[in-house]
Amino acid sequence: MKRVFGVALGILTAIGGFVDIGDLVANALVGARFGLTLAWATVLGVIGICVFAEMSGRVAAVAGRPTFDLVRERLGPRIGLANLAASLLVTLLTFSAEIGGVALALELATSVNYLLWVPVAGLAAWLVMWRVRFSVLENTAGLLGLTLVIFGVALWRLNPDWPQLLNQGISPGNPPGEGLPTYFYYAIALFGAAMTPYEVFFFSSGGVEERWTRKDVVTSRVNVFVGFPLGGLLSLAVAGCAAVVLLPQGITVDTLGQVGLPVAVAVGKLGLAVAILGFVAATFGAALETGLSCGYSVAQYFGWQWGKYVRPREAARFHLVVLVCLIVAVGTVLTTIDPITITEYSLVFSAVALPLTYLPILVIANDPDYLGARVNGRVANLFGTLFLVVILVASVAAIPPMLATRAGQ
Amino acid sequence: MRWLPAVLAIAALTGCVGPAPTTGEYEEKAAHTAADALSQLQTARLAVGNAGRMPASYLETVLVDAEEAFGSIESTFDSIQPPDDPRADRLRSDLDGLLSDGSDGMTQLRVLARRSDAAGLRSTAEQLVATADGLGRFAREHGS
Repeated sequence: MKRVFGVALGILTAIGGFVDIGDLVANALVGARFGLTLAWATVLGVIGICVFAEMSGRVAAVAGRPTFDLVRERLGPRIGLANLAASLLVTLLTFSAEIGGVALALELATSVNYLLWVPVAGLAAWLVMWRVRFSVLENTAGLLGLTLVIFGVALWRLNPDWPQLLNQGISPGNPPGEGLPTYFYYAIALFGAAMTPYEVFFFSSGGVEERWTRKDVVTSRVNVFVGFPLGGLLSLAVAGCAAVVLLPQGITVDTLGQVGLPVAVAVGKLGLAVAILGFVAATFGAALETGLSCGYSVAQYFGWQWGKYVRPREAARFHLVVLVCLIVAVGTVLTTIDPITITEYSLVFSAVALPLTYLPILVIANDPDYLGARVNGRVANLFGTLFLVVILVASVAAIPPMLATRAGQ
Repeated sequence: MRWLPAVLAIAALTGCVGPAPTTGEYEEKAAHTAADALSQLQTARLAVGNAGRMPASYLETVLVDAEEAFGSIESTFDSIQPPDDPRADRLRSDLDGLLSDGSDGMTQLRVLARRSDAAGLRSTAEQLVATADGLGRFAREHGS
Protein backbone atom coordinates (compact mmCIF):
# COMPACT_ATOMS: atom_id res chain seq x y z
CA MET A 1 0.00 0.00 0.00
CA LYS A 2 2.85 2.32 0.88
CA ARG A 3 4.44 1.64 -2.50
CA VAL A 4 1.18 2.34 -4.37
CA PHE A 5 0.84 5.59 -2.43
CA GLY A 6 4.44 6.48 -3.31
CA VAL A 7 3.84 5.86 -7.03
CA ALA A 8 0.56 7.86 -6.99
CA LEU A 9 2.28 10.71 -5.18
CA GLY A 10 5.10 10.62 -7.72
CA ILE A 11 2.64 10.83 -10.61
CA LEU A 12 0.73 13.72 -9.06
CA THR A 13 3.99 15.53 -8.33
CA ALA A 14 5.18 14.99 -11.89
CA ILE A 15 1.92 16.42 -13.28
CA GLY A 16 1.92 19.43 -10.97
CA GLY A 17 5.65 20.00 -11.33
CA PHE A 18 5.67 19.79 -15.13
CA VAL A 19 4.26 23.26 -15.80
CA ASP A 20 6.42 26.30 -15.08
CA ILE A 21 6.47 29.96 -16.12
CA GLY A 22 7.82 29.00 -19.56
CA ASP A 23 5.00 26.54 -20.20
CA LEU A 24 2.37 28.97 -18.92
CA VAL A 25 3.55 31.91 -21.02
CA ALA A 26 4.52 30.00 -24.17
CA ASN A 27 1.30 27.98 -24.33
CA ALA A 28 -1.00 30.94 -23.64
CA LEU A 29 0.92 33.12 -26.08
CA VAL A 30 0.82 30.50 -28.81
CA GLY A 31 -2.83 29.58 -28.15
CA ALA A 32 -3.84 33.25 -28.46
CA ARG A 33 -1.99 33.67 -31.78
CA PHE A 34 -2.08 30.29 -33.48
CA GLY A 35 -4.95 28.43 -31.81
CA LEU A 36 -3.97 24.80 -31.34
CA THR A 37 -2.11 24.55 -34.65
CA LEU A 38 1.18 24.26 -32.69
CA ALA A 39 -0.07 21.54 -30.31
CA TRP A 40 2.27 19.14 -32.13
CA ALA A 41 5.31 21.02 -30.81
CA THR A 42 4.16 20.52 -27.20
CA VAL A 43 3.41 16.85 -27.87
CA LEU A 44 6.83 16.42 -29.49
CA GLY A 45 8.51 18.11 -26.52
CA VAL A 46 6.63 15.94 -24.01
CA ILE A 47 7.67 12.74 -25.83
CA GLY A 48 11.26 14.02 -25.94
CA ILE A 49 11.43 14.83 -22.24
CA CYS A 50 9.89 11.42 -21.44
CA VAL A 51 12.57 9.64 -23.50
CA PHE A 52 15.49 11.38 -21.79
CA ALA A 53 13.99 11.62 -18.29
CA GLU A 54 13.43 7.85 -18.35
CA MET A 55 17.10 7.32 -19.23
CA SER A 56 18.38 9.67 -16.54
CA GLY A 57 15.98 8.21 -13.94
CA ARG A 58 17.24 4.73 -14.79
CA VAL A 59 20.86 5.87 -14.51
CA ALA A 60 20.13 7.40 -11.07
CA ALA A 61 18.33 4.27 -9.85
CA VAL A 62 20.85 1.73 -11.15
CA ALA A 63 24.17 3.57 -10.80
CA GLY A 64 23.08 5.49 -7.70
CA ARG A 65 24.59 8.61 -9.23
CA PRO A 66 22.91 11.36 -11.24
CA THR A 67 23.67 11.48 -14.95
CA PHE A 68 25.71 14.65 -14.81
CA ASP A 69 27.87 13.28 -12.04
CA LEU A 70 29.01 10.76 -14.64
CA VAL A 71 29.42 13.11 -17.62
CA ARG A 72 32.85 14.42 -16.65
CA GLU A 73 34.06 10.97 -15.66
CA ARG A 74 32.82 9.34 -18.86
CA LEU A 75 33.31 12.10 -21.45
CA GLY A 76 36.21 14.08 -19.99
CA PRO A 77 36.55 17.54 -18.44
CA ARG A 78 36.26 19.56 -21.68
CA ILE A 79 32.95 18.09 -22.83
CA GLY A 80 31.82 18.12 -19.21
CA LEU A 81 32.63 21.83 -18.99
CA ALA A 82 30.76 22.62 -22.24
CA ASN A 83 27.82 20.67 -20.86
CA LEU A 84 28.04 22.52 -17.55
CA ALA A 85 28.38 25.99 -19.11
CA ALA A 86 25.45 25.60 -21.50
CA SER A 87 23.11 23.98 -18.99
CA LEU A 88 24.02 26.31 -16.14
CA LEU A 89 23.51 29.44 -18.24
CA VAL A 90 20.07 28.33 -19.41
CA THR A 91 19.08 27.08 -15.96
CA LEU A 92 20.16 30.36 -14.37
CA LEU A 93 18.13 32.32 -16.94
CA THR A 94 15.14 30.06 -16.21
CA PHE A 95 15.72 30.51 -12.46
CA SER A 96 15.45 34.30 -12.95
CA ALA A 97 12.27 33.85 -14.97
CA GLU A 98 10.72 31.64 -12.28
CA ILE A 99 11.55 34.11 -9.47
CA GLY A 100 9.99 36.82 -11.64
CA GLY A 101 6.99 34.54 -12.22
CA VAL A 102 6.43 34.09 -8.48
CA ALA A 103 6.56 37.88 -8.03
CA LEU A 104 4.14 38.46 -10.93
CA ALA A 105 1.69 35.91 -9.51
CA LEU A 106 1.85 37.58 -6.10
CA GLU A 107 1.24 40.94 -7.76
CA LEU A 108 -1.96 39.54 -9.29
CA ALA A 109 -3.11 38.44 -5.83
CA THR A 110 -2.25 41.70 -4.07
CA SER A 111 -1.82 44.45 -6.72
CA VAL A 112 1.50 45.30 -5.01
CA ASN A 113 4.17 45.91 -7.69
CA TYR A 114 6.02 42.70 -8.55
CA LEU A 115 9.44 44.29 -7.95
CA LEU A 116 8.61 44.51 -4.25
CA TRP A 117 7.83 40.79 -4.23
CA VAL A 118 11.08 39.75 -5.92
CA PRO A 119 13.30 39.87 -2.77
CA VAL A 120 10.53 38.16 -0.78
CA ALA A 121 10.26 35.38 -3.36
CA GLY A 122 14.06 35.03 -3.39
CA LEU A 123 14.32 34.86 0.39
CA ALA A 124 11.48 32.32 0.62
CA ALA A 125 13.09 30.16 -2.08
CA TRP A 126 16.47 30.26 -0.31
CA LEU A 127 14.98 29.35 3.08
CA VAL A 128 13.09 26.42 1.58
CA MET A 129 16.12 25.16 -0.38
CA TRP A 130 18.30 25.44 2.71
CA ARG A 131 16.00 24.16 5.45
CA VAL A 132 13.15 22.05 4.07
CA ARG A 133 13.51 18.32 3.44
CA PHE A 134 13.73 17.33 -0.24
CA SER A 135 10.63 15.10 -0.24
CA VAL A 136 8.51 17.78 1.49
CA LEU A 137 9.76 20.44 -0.92
CA GLU A 138 9.12 18.34 -4.02
CA ASN A 139 5.75 16.92 -3.01
CA THR A 140 4.25 20.17 -1.67
CA ALA A 141 5.16 22.19 -4.75
CA GLY A 142 4.03 19.42 -7.11
CA LEU A 143 0.70 18.85 -5.38
CA LEU A 144 -0.11 22.57 -5.17
CA GLY A 145 0.85 22.88 -8.84
CA LEU A 146 -1.99 20.45 -9.57
CA THR A 147 -4.38 23.35 -8.98
CA LEU A 148 -3.56 24.36 -12.56
CA VAL A 149 -6.05 21.64 -13.52
CA ILE A 150 -8.44 24.61 -13.24
CA PHE A 151 -7.42 25.43 -16.84
CA GLY A 152 -8.86 22.08 -17.92
CA VAL A 153 -12.06 22.84 -15.99
CA ALA A 154 -12.18 26.30 -17.57
CA LEU A 155 -11.77 24.88 -21.07
CA TRP A 156 -14.59 22.41 -20.45
CA ARG A 157 -16.83 25.16 -19.04
CA LEU A 158 -16.11 27.42 -22.01
CA ASN A 159 -17.82 24.72 -24.06
CA PRO A 160 -15.74 25.34 -27.19
CA ASP A 161 -16.37 23.89 -30.63
CA TRP A 162 -14.46 20.68 -29.80
CA PRO A 163 -14.26 19.31 -33.37
CA GLN A 164 -12.82 22.64 -34.54
CA LEU A 165 -10.24 22.66 -31.71
CA LEU A 166 -9.31 19.05 -32.45
CA ASN A 167 -9.05 19.87 -36.12
CA GLN A 168 -6.63 22.72 -35.32
CA GLY A 169 -4.59 20.33 -33.20
CA ILE A 170 -4.21 17.78 -35.97
CA SER A 171 -3.76 20.31 -38.81
CA PRO A 172 -0.35 21.94 -38.35
CA GLY A 173 0.28 25.07 -40.39
CA ASN A 174 0.56 28.81 -39.96
CA PRO A 175 -2.82 30.56 -39.78
CA PRO A 176 -3.56 33.47 -42.18
CA GLY A 177 -1.64 36.60 -41.20
CA GLU A 178 1.18 34.69 -39.49
CA GLY A 179 4.42 34.01 -41.38
CA LEU A 180 6.20 30.66 -41.44
CA PRO A 181 9.32 31.99 -39.61
CA THR A 182 7.09 33.21 -36.75
CA TYR A 183 5.30 29.87 -36.68
CA PHE A 184 8.58 27.97 -36.41
CA TYR A 185 9.99 30.43 -33.88
CA TYR A 186 7.12 29.60 -31.54
CA ALA A 187 7.31 25.89 -32.36
CA ILE A 188 10.92 25.92 -31.14
CA ALA A 189 9.93 27.95 -28.05
CA LEU A 190 7.21 25.40 -27.16
CA PHE A 191 9.61 22.51 -27.75
CA GLY A 192 12.20 24.28 -25.56
CA ALA A 193 9.56 24.90 -22.87
CA ALA A 194 8.75 21.19 -22.64
CA MET A 195 12.40 20.07 -22.77
CA THR A 196 14.12 22.59 -20.49
CA PRO A 197 17.41 21.03 -19.33
CA TYR A 198 16.79 21.63 -15.62
CA GLU A 199 13.92 19.10 -15.66
CA VAL A 200 16.36 16.28 -16.36
CA PHE A 201 18.98 17.67 -13.97
CA PHE A 202 16.41 17.79 -11.22
CA PHE A 203 14.80 14.45 -12.04
CA SER A 204 18.07 12.54 -12.01
CA SER A 205 19.55 14.31 -8.97
CA GLY A 206 16.18 14.02 -7.21
CA GLY A 207 16.30 10.25 -7.70
CA VAL A 208 19.59 10.16 -5.81
CA GLU A 209 18.22 12.53 -3.13
CA GLU A 210 15.37 10.08 -2.62
CA ARG A 211 17.85 7.15 -2.54
CA TRP A 212 16.38 5.29 -5.51
CA THR A 213 17.62 1.74 -6.07
CA ARG A 214 17.15 -0.73 -8.92
CA LYS A 215 13.68 -1.49 -7.51
CA ASP A 216 12.67 2.12 -8.17
CA VAL A 217 13.19 1.94 -11.95
CA VAL A 218 9.49 1.08 -12.32
CA THR A 219 8.45 4.00 -10.09
CA SER A 220 10.66 6.31 -12.12
CA ARG A 221 9.14 5.08 -15.39
CA VAL A 222 5.56 5.43 -14.16
CA ASN A 223 6.31 8.99 -13.00
CA VAL A 224 7.75 9.84 -16.39
CA PHE A 225 5.36 8.04 -18.73
CA VAL A 226 2.15 8.90 -16.84
CA GLY A 227 2.96 12.10 -14.96
CA PHE A 228 4.76 14.06 -17.69
CA PRO A 229 2.15 13.48 -20.45
CA LEU A 230 -0.64 14.47 -18.05
CA GLY A 231 1.42 17.58 -17.23
CA GLY A 232 1.64 18.16 -21.00
CA LEU A 233 -2.18 18.03 -21.14
CA LEU A 234 -2.24 20.90 -18.61
CA SER A 235 -0.05 22.89 -21.02
CA LEU A 236 -2.46 22.15 -23.86
CA ALA A 237 -5.40 23.22 -21.65
CA VAL A 238 -3.69 26.59 -21.09
CA ALA A 239 -3.24 26.94 -24.87
CA GLY A 240 -6.84 25.82 -25.49
CA CYS A 241 -8.25 28.42 -23.07
CA ALA A 242 -6.25 31.16 -24.79
CA ALA A 243 -7.37 29.92 -28.21
CA VAL A 244 -11.05 30.05 -27.22
CA VAL A 245 -11.14 33.34 -25.28
CA LEU A 246 -8.18 35.51 -26.33
CA LEU A 247 -7.66 34.64 -30.03
CA PRO A 248 -11.11 35.85 -31.20
CA GLN A 249 -10.55 39.17 -29.36
CA GLY A 250 -7.19 39.80 -31.07
CA ILE A 251 -5.36 39.64 -27.72
CA THR A 252 -1.71 38.61 -27.80
CA VAL A 253 -0.32 37.44 -24.46
CA ASP A 254 2.52 39.37 -22.86
CA THR A 255 1.56 39.34 -19.18
CA LEU A 256 0.70 36.65 -16.65
CA GLY A 257 -2.59 38.42 -15.95
CA GLN A 258 -3.73 37.75 -19.52
CA VAL A 259 -2.95 34.02 -19.07
CA GLY A 260 -5.54 33.81 -16.26
CA LEU A 261 -8.31 35.85 -17.94
CA PRO A 262 -9.99 32.83 -19.60
CA VAL A 263 -10.32 31.18 -16.17
CA ALA A 264 -12.09 34.30 -14.84
CA VAL A 265 -14.42 34.27 -17.84
CA ALA A 266 -15.23 30.56 -17.48
CA VAL A 267 -15.14 29.85 -13.75
CA GLY A 268 -15.24 33.23 -11.96
CA LYS A 269 -13.58 34.45 -8.79
CA LEU A 270 -13.05 31.13 -7.07
CA GLY A 271 -11.57 29.57 -10.19
CA LEU A 272 -9.25 32.52 -10.66
CA ALA A 273 -8.12 32.27 -7.02
CA VAL A 274 -7.26 28.61 -7.67
CA ALA A 275 -5.40 29.60 -10.86
CA ILE A 276 -3.37 32.23 -8.96
CA LEU A 277 -2.48 29.60 -6.35
CA GLY A 278 -1.44 27.37 -9.25
CA PHE A 279 0.72 30.17 -10.75
CA VAL A 280 2.49 30.70 -7.40
CA ALA A 281 2.96 26.97 -6.79
CA ALA A 282 4.14 26.20 -10.33
CA THR A 283 6.62 29.07 -10.49
CA PHE A 284 7.84 28.69 -6.89
CA GLY A 285 8.24 24.93 -7.35
CA ALA A 286 10.17 25.52 -10.58
CA ALA A 287 12.28 28.20 -8.85
CA LEU A 288 13.28 25.59 -6.27
CA GLU A 289 14.02 23.03 -8.99
CA THR A 290 16.11 25.43 -11.08
CA GLY A 291 17.92 26.83 -8.02
CA LEU A 292 18.84 23.37 -6.79
CA SER A 293 19.74 22.31 -10.33
CA CYS A 294 22.31 25.13 -10.51
CA GLY A 295 23.89 23.76 -7.33
CA TYR A 296 23.67 20.16 -8.54
CA SER A 297 25.34 20.85 -11.88
CA VAL A 298 28.30 22.84 -10.50
CA ALA A 299 28.88 20.59 -7.47
CA GLN A 300 28.61 17.41 -9.53
CA TYR A 301 31.07 18.71 -12.14
CA PHE A 302 33.68 19.62 -9.52
CA GLY A 303 33.06 16.48 -7.49
CA TRP A 304 31.93 18.31 -4.35
CA GLN A 305 29.51 16.85 -1.83
CA TRP A 306 26.06 17.91 -2.96
CA GLY A 307 22.40 17.48 -2.16
CA LYS A 308 19.87 17.91 0.57
CA TYR A 309 20.21 14.36 1.81
CA VAL A 310 23.22 15.56 3.82
CA ARG A 311 23.31 18.43 6.31
CA PRO A 312 24.00 21.88 4.79
CA ARG A 313 27.36 22.11 6.59
CA GLU A 314 28.45 18.87 4.84
CA ALA A 315 27.55 20.32 1.43
CA ALA A 316 28.56 23.91 2.11
CA ARG A 317 29.91 24.60 -1.40
CA PHE A 318 26.72 23.22 -2.97
CA HIS A 319 24.62 25.57 -0.84
CA LEU A 320 26.97 28.46 -1.58
CA VAL A 321 26.50 27.95 -5.34
CA VAL A 322 22.71 27.85 -4.84
CA LEU A 323 22.89 31.10 -2.85
CA VAL A 324 25.11 32.88 -5.41
CA CYS A 325 22.81 31.78 -8.26
CA LEU A 326 19.81 33.00 -6.28
CA ILE A 327 21.42 36.42 -5.81
CA VAL A 328 22.17 36.60 -9.55
CA ALA A 329 18.58 35.55 -10.40
CA VAL A 330 17.01 38.07 -8.02
CA GLY A 331 19.40 40.78 -9.23
CA THR A 332 18.52 40.05 -12.86
CA VAL A 333 14.80 40.50 -12.23
CA LEU A 334 15.42 43.61 -10.12
CA THR A 335 17.05 45.29 -13.13
CA THR A 336 13.36 45.65 -14.21
CA ILE A 337 13.82 43.51 -17.32
CA ASP A 338 10.33 42.12 -17.92
CA PRO A 339 10.24 38.56 -16.48
CA ILE A 340 8.03 37.48 -19.40
CA THR A 341 10.73 38.65 -21.84
CA ILE A 342 13.36 36.74 -19.83
CA THR A 343 11.10 33.69 -20.09
CA GLU A 344 10.70 33.99 -23.85
CA TYR A 345 14.45 34.29 -24.43
CA SER A 346 15.22 31.51 -21.96
CA LEU A 347 13.04 29.13 -23.99
CA VAL A 348 14.88 29.83 -27.24
CA PHE A 349 18.34 29.67 -25.64
CA SER A 350 17.22 26.49 -23.94
CA ALA A 351 16.56 25.00 -27.37
CA VAL A 352 20.06 26.09 -28.49
CA ALA A 353 21.70 24.37 -25.49
CA LEU A 354 19.66 21.16 -25.66
CA PRO A 355 22.19 18.95 -27.54
CA LEU A 356 24.87 19.62 -24.93
CA THR A 357 22.49 18.42 -22.24
CA TYR A 358 20.90 15.44 -23.91
CA LEU A 359 23.75 13.87 -25.92
CA PRO A 360 25.67 12.89 -22.74
CA ILE A 361 22.54 11.24 -21.31
CA LEU A 362 22.27 9.02 -24.38
CA VAL A 363 25.97 8.09 -24.10
CA ILE A 364 25.82 7.28 -20.37
CA ALA A 365 22.57 5.31 -20.75
CA ASN A 366 24.39 3.02 -23.20
CA ASP A 367 27.39 2.40 -20.95
CA PRO A 368 27.36 -1.09 -19.37
CA ASP A 369 30.06 -0.01 -16.88
CA TYR A 370 27.41 2.09 -15.13
CA LEU A 371 24.19 0.33 -16.02
CA GLY A 372 25.16 -3.31 -16.51
CA ALA A 373 22.23 -5.13 -18.09
CA ARG A 374 19.97 -2.05 -17.71
CA VAL A 375 21.55 -0.18 -20.64
CA ASN A 376 19.25 1.25 -23.32
CA GLY A 377 17.31 -1.28 -25.34
CA ARG A 378 16.56 -0.89 -29.05
CA VAL A 379 13.39 1.14 -28.51
CA ALA A 380 15.08 3.58 -26.10
CA ASN A 381 18.00 4.01 -28.50
CA LEU A 382 15.71 4.44 -31.51
CA PHE A 383 13.71 7.18 -29.77
CA GLY A 384 16.84 8.67 -28.19
CA THR A 385 18.59 8.95 -31.56
CA LEU A 386 15.51 10.29 -33.33
CA PHE A 387 15.02 12.94 -30.69
CA LEU A 388 18.67 13.84 -30.70
CA VAL A 389 18.27 14.65 -34.41
CA VAL A 390 15.16 16.74 -33.65
CA ILE A 391 17.05 18.50 -30.84
CA LEU A 392 19.99 19.24 -33.15
CA VAL A 393 17.67 20.66 -35.80
CA ALA A 394 15.84 22.80 -33.20
CA SER A 395 19.16 23.96 -31.78
CA VAL A 396 20.55 25.04 -35.16
CA ALA A 397 17.22 26.50 -36.31
CA ALA A 398 16.46 28.44 -33.11
CA ILE A 399 18.36 31.67 -33.75
CA PRO A 400 17.54 32.53 -37.42
CA PRO A 401 13.73 32.72 -36.89
CA MET A 402 14.33 34.76 -33.73
CA LEU A 403 16.31 37.33 -35.73
CA ALA A 404 14.01 37.18 -38.77
CA THR A 405 10.86 37.71 -36.72
CA ARG A 406 12.30 40.12 -34.12
CA ALA A 407 11.69 37.52 -31.44
CA GLY A 408 8.29 36.47 -32.71
CA GLN A 409 6.77 39.92 -33.32
CA MET B 1 30.53 30.40 -25.76
CA ARG B 2 32.27 33.47 -27.26
CA TRP B 3 29.30 33.97 -29.57
CA LEU B 4 26.83 34.36 -26.72
CA PRO B 5 27.30 38.09 -25.95
CA ALA B 6 26.96 38.86 -29.66
CA VAL B 7 23.79 36.78 -29.93
CA LEU B 8 22.30 38.44 -26.83
CA ALA B 9 23.15 41.89 -28.20
CA ILE B 10 21.56 41.07 -31.58
CA ALA B 11 18.51 39.64 -29.82
CA ALA B 12 18.13 42.80 -27.76
CA LEU B 13 18.58 45.03 -30.78
CA THR B 14 16.05 43.12 -32.88
CA GLY B 15 13.42 44.04 -30.29
CA CYS B 16 13.95 47.75 -31.03
CA VAL B 17 11.99 49.73 -33.58
CA GLY B 18 14.21 51.46 -36.12
CA PRO B 19 13.50 54.28 -38.60
CA ALA B 20 11.10 53.74 -41.51
CA PRO B 21 12.84 54.98 -44.68
CA THR B 22 9.90 54.32 -47.04
CA THR B 23 6.17 54.98 -46.76
CA GLY B 24 5.48 51.26 -47.26
CA GLU B 25 7.66 50.35 -44.28
CA TYR B 26 6.12 53.13 -42.22
CA GLU B 27 2.65 51.82 -43.09
CA GLU B 28 3.67 48.31 -42.03
CA LYS B 29 4.96 49.61 -38.68
CA ALA B 30 1.79 51.64 -38.21
CA ALA B 31 -0.38 48.55 -38.85
CA HIS B 32 1.73 46.54 -36.42
CA THR B 33 1.35 49.29 -33.82
CA ALA B 34 -2.43 49.32 -34.30
CA ALA B 35 -2.63 45.54 -33.82
CA ASP B 36 -0.49 45.67 -30.66
CA ALA B 37 -2.51 48.57 -29.24
CA LEU B 38 -5.76 46.75 -30.05
CA SER B 39 -4.51 43.72 -28.11
CA GLN B 40 -4.02 45.86 -24.98
CA LEU B 41 -7.34 47.64 -25.41
CA GLN B 42 -9.19 44.36 -25.83
CA THR B 43 -7.43 42.96 -22.75
CA ALA B 44 -8.71 45.89 -20.72
CA ARG B 45 -12.23 45.56 -22.16
CA LEU B 46 -12.32 41.80 -21.51
CA ALA B 47 -11.16 42.34 -17.92
CA VAL B 48 -13.71 45.10 -17.30
CA GLY B 49 -16.47 43.01 -18.90
CA ASN B 50 -15.69 40.28 -16.37
CA ALA B 51 -14.87 42.59 -13.45
CA GLY B 52 -17.40 40.85 -11.22
CA ARG B 53 -15.69 37.52 -11.87
CA MET B 54 -12.24 38.46 -10.57
CA PRO B 55 -10.72 39.92 -7.39
CA ALA B 56 -10.18 43.70 -7.43
CA SER B 57 -6.40 43.21 -7.16
CA TYR B 58 -6.37 41.09 -10.33
CA LEU B 59 -8.49 43.57 -12.29
CA GLU B 60 -6.29 46.47 -11.21
CA THR B 61 -3.07 44.64 -12.12
CA VAL B 62 -4.39 43.65 -15.56
CA LEU B 63 -5.52 47.22 -16.25
CA VAL B 64 -2.25 48.78 -15.05
CA ASP B 65 -0.23 46.34 -17.19
CA ALA B 66 -2.43 47.04 -20.23
CA GLU B 67 -2.20 50.81 -19.73
CA GLU B 68 1.60 50.70 -19.40
CA ALA B 69 1.96 48.48 -22.46
CA PHE B 70 -0.39 50.72 -24.45
CA GLY B 71 1.65 53.80 -23.45
CA SER B 72 4.86 52.07 -24.47
CA ILE B 73 3.40 51.10 -27.86
CA GLU B 74 2.21 54.68 -28.42
CA SER B 75 5.54 56.27 -27.50
CA THR B 76 7.49 53.79 -29.64
CA PHE B 77 5.34 54.70 -32.65
CA ASP B 78 5.70 58.40 -31.94
CA SER B 79 9.49 58.00 -31.88
CA ILE B 80 9.57 56.74 -35.48
CA GLN B 81 10.53 59.45 -37.96
CA PRO B 82 7.97 59.28 -40.80
CA PRO B 83 9.18 59.68 -44.40
CA ASP B 84 8.66 63.06 -46.04
CA ASP B 85 5.42 62.03 -47.77
CA PRO B 86 1.85 63.36 -47.25
CA ARG B 87 0.51 59.79 -47.16
CA ALA B 88 2.82 58.97 -44.25
CA ASP B 89 1.64 62.11 -42.47
CA ARG B 90 -1.99 61.04 -42.93
CA LEU B 91 -1.20 57.58 -41.54
CA ARG B 92 0.51 59.14 -38.54
CA SER B 93 -2.36 61.54 -37.92
CA ASP B 94 -5.06 58.83 -38.21
CA LEU B 95 -3.26 56.40 -35.89
CA ASP B 96 -2.24 59.10 -33.41
CA GLY B 97 -5.90 60.02 -32.94
CA LEU B 98 -6.86 56.43 -32.20
CA LEU B 99 -3.89 55.90 -29.87
CA SER B 100 -4.64 59.09 -28.00
CA ASP B 101 -8.30 58.12 -27.48
CA GLY B 102 -7.26 54.64 -26.38
CA SER B 103 -4.63 55.96 -23.98
CA ASP B 104 -7.10 58.35 -22.34
CA GLY B 105 -9.68 55.57 -21.98
CA MET B 106 -7.17 53.12 -20.47
CA THR B 107 -6.07 55.70 -17.90
CA GLN B 108 -9.71 56.36 -17.04
CA LEU B 109 -10.32 52.60 -16.59
CA ARG B 110 -7.42 52.34 -14.15
CA VAL B 111 -8.67 55.32 -12.14
CA LEU B 112 -12.21 53.93 -11.96
CA ALA B 113 -10.98 50.43 -11.02
CA ARG B 114 -9.05 51.87 -8.07
CA ARG B 115 -12.24 53.68 -7.01
CA SER B 116 -14.25 50.45 -7.41
CA ASP B 117 -16.66 52.38 -9.67
CA ALA B 118 -18.34 49.48 -11.50
CA ALA B 119 -20.84 51.64 -13.42
CA GLY B 120 -18.11 54.04 -14.57
CA LEU B 121 -15.95 51.11 -15.71
CA ARG B 122 -18.77 49.66 -17.80
CA SER B 123 -19.59 53.00 -19.39
CA THR B 124 -15.92 53.84 -20.19
CA ALA B 125 -15.35 50.36 -21.64
CA GLU B 126 -18.44 50.87 -23.81
CA GLN B 127 -17.01 54.13 -25.12
CA LEU B 128 -13.81 52.33 -26.09
CA VAL B 129 -15.65 50.07 -28.56
CA ALA B 130 -15.35 52.71 -31.30
CA THR B 131 -11.59 53.07 -30.68
CA ALA B 132 -11.13 49.28 -30.74
CA ASP B 133 -13.08 49.04 -34.00
CA GLY B 134 -10.97 51.86 -35.45
CA LEU B 135 -7.69 50.19 -34.47
CA GLY B 136 -8.86 46.85 -35.88
CA ARG B 137 -9.88 48.48 -39.16
CA PHE B 138 -6.58 50.37 -39.38
CA ALA B 139 -4.56 47.19 -38.78
CA ARG B 140 -6.53 45.27 -41.44
CA GLU B 141 -6.41 48.03 -44.07
CA HIS B 142 -2.72 48.78 -43.70
CA GLY B 143 -1.31 45.39 -42.67
CA SER B 144 0.42 43.12 -45.16
